[in-house]
Amino acid sequence: MGKSDRVSGSFWFLFCLFIIYESYRLGLGNVYQPGPGFLFFWTGIVVAIMSLIVVLQSFSSQADEEAREAPTGKRAAIKVILVLVSLFVYAALMEYLGFFIVTLLLFMFLLGVIEKKKWWFAVVVSVAVTLFSYLIFETALQSQLPKGILSSLRF
Amino acid sequence: MIEILQNVGYGFEVALRPYNLMYCFFGVLIGTLVGVLPGLGPAAAIALLLPTTFHVSPVSATIMLAGIFYGAMYGGSTTSILVNIPGEAASVVTCIDGYQMARKGRAGPALGISAFGSFIAGTFSVIALTFVGPFLANIALAFGPPEYFSLMIVGITVLTYLSSGSMIKSLMMAGIGLILSGVGMDTIAGKYRFTFDIPALLDGVGVVPVAMGLFGISEVLMNLETEIKRDLLTTKVKNLFPSLKDWGLSIWPIIRGSVLGFFLGIIPGGGAVIASFASYAIEKKIAKNPEEFGKGAIQGVAGPESANNAGAGGSFIPLLTLGIPANPVTAILLGALMIHGLTPGPLLIKDAPDLFWGTIVSMYIGNGMLLVLNLPLIPIWVKVLKVPYYLLYPLILLFCLIGAYSLDNNVSDVIIMLVFGILGFLMKKYRYDGAPLILALVLGQKLETSLRRALIMSHGAFSIFVTRPISLAFLITAVLLLIVPIVTGRKKLSTLAEE
Repeated sequence: MGKSDRVSGSFWFLFCLFIIYESYRLGLGNVYQPGPGFLFFWTGIVVAIMSLIVVLQSFSSQADEEAREAPTGKRAAIKVILVLVSLFVYAALMEYLGFFIVTLLLFMFLLGVIEKKKWWFAVVVSVAVTLFSYLIFETALQSQLPKGILSSLRF
Repeated sequence: MIEILQNVGYGFEVALRPYNLMYCFFGVLIGTLVGVLPGLGPAAAIALLLPTTFHVSPVSATIMLAGIFYGAMYGGSTTSILVNIPGEAASVVTCIDGYQMARKGRAGPALGISAFGSFIAGTFSVIALTFVGPFLANIALAFGPPEYFSLMIVGITVLTYLSSGSMIKSLMMAGIGLILSGVGMDTIAGKYRFTFDIPALLDGVGVVPVAMGLFGISEVLMNLETEIKRDLLTTKVKNLFPSLKDWGLSIWPIIRGSVLGFFLGIIPGGGAVIASFASYAIEKKIAKNPEEFGKGAIQGVAGPESANNAGAGGSFIPLLTLGIPANPVTAILLGALMIHGLTPGPLLIKDAPDLFWGTIVSMYIGNGMLLVLNLPLIPIWVKVLKVPYYLLYPLILLFCLIGAYSLDNNVSDVIIMLVFGILGFLMKKYRYDGAPLILALVLGQKLETSLRRALIMSHGAFSIFVTRPISLAFLITAVLLLIVPIVTGRKKLSTLAEE
């Protein structure tokens, strides 16, 4: 499978080395009374071996084409990264700013900046979605969405 | 026999309560909707809606979540047939002949036969579930820790055997899932593991945020990268009721699909997806005119669509009687039941008869609702498909964010979901299947406890797993599944249909 397997296989191999080390520290116990690290130590070893096989296999079958590795383009990659960043920012700010503000901002960002829709369209849709989702989840389904800095206001 | 009829009667009493009927209706409606929407499967949908069931009774919650599952099996066929995009994995094969039928102007009968086939198969599997469930639960009462351990090993092996892509990678993912299940408090030693003083990890890595990340967020990211092109058929859908000739061709594929799907559904690790592939392969093999397949053969729609519904029904058996989920969807259902304070397993029938029988009977009712709901609503589903993706994906993302947060009103679940979203995205690119990871993550704690209990029972002798006949049988099955593909040169079931 070529390069991608070498990368992913190596990643999992290193991950497993770490798990093996950590499990060892937790204590393996013995077969009469297996300790907290017992199962994970051995799982780590088995998965590490398998990831090595994946890496080794990648050398013998380099000719294989990578269908999903097809050129994705810089623009698409940037789009994915921007969306991800906006989601992490959403998570980081949601308790501080509250559901209303972050959701509004997220939608305006996704529609206005990422999808480059007209600003009035982005604003109208964002407001509508925020209101509707608030009505559905908070009012109808009684989820407790964070109110953040708007908590002093009563809805 | 009489006892079962009494129980079914009791089930009807529970399922017909207006409250439960309403949840059943919501479940199948939402299920059909997510089945129709590509990029949002039943696993993600159940994970998303789970927090919204926290304030209702476990029975209503399970009825609704189950409805989403089998409802999605119905909905998925609609997009396969009309747009050549499977709404969810179990409808992939339906694309092959369903879309060809639609191109020939036979979208109506294709949709019709898949709805009727789904109804027949769904009802069959629920009836079978009624009888097989209690029987299996009785057997399972005799299971001790070694049997449970071996059974779970079989479940994980079957899933890796059947999952898409390389087997070794699937096994690796099962291992990773197992390791992830160790995060948090070790209940036997009372010690924190793999938490690295990060507060978010103290309670462990939840199945639901992981599933939302692996199946929801990553799917959106994948679609963002590769713009989906959808050429919607503009022809009118008419003649939903298949002709007598269509019925003649379809009836046996439906019956075979039902039986096959049900049994593949029971096997832990099996389920709806694989049932649909297997059914297609079989129908093609025994058809009088195999060359018709791929060019719009109605059998190629009727068989797999029945099989995936029967498979969905069948997979409730290991869940409700053994407490072992057969696939990612039932894995999340298991998580849901546990959040609601229930432990699925052989004692569930006795401990919570209202849940067990109520859920089963609600599936009879739900299947009926789906038939009524689906045929007249097809034009609406087609409209839903026209919602542009730039509107759809922000909504899916928002629902994921709200869903993850509402699990525990905690941002850490949101972060876990996003991290697994990235991981799932990379896994899709590097071709690792997420399903074994989820299954192992759900089973992990039980697996570890059974292993440690079994070893304590046997005073440290691993032979306990092979000296007890049931456990031995399970392990032999697992070993065979691992060895056969290596020896025979692996032919994956999922590739059979493509031949």
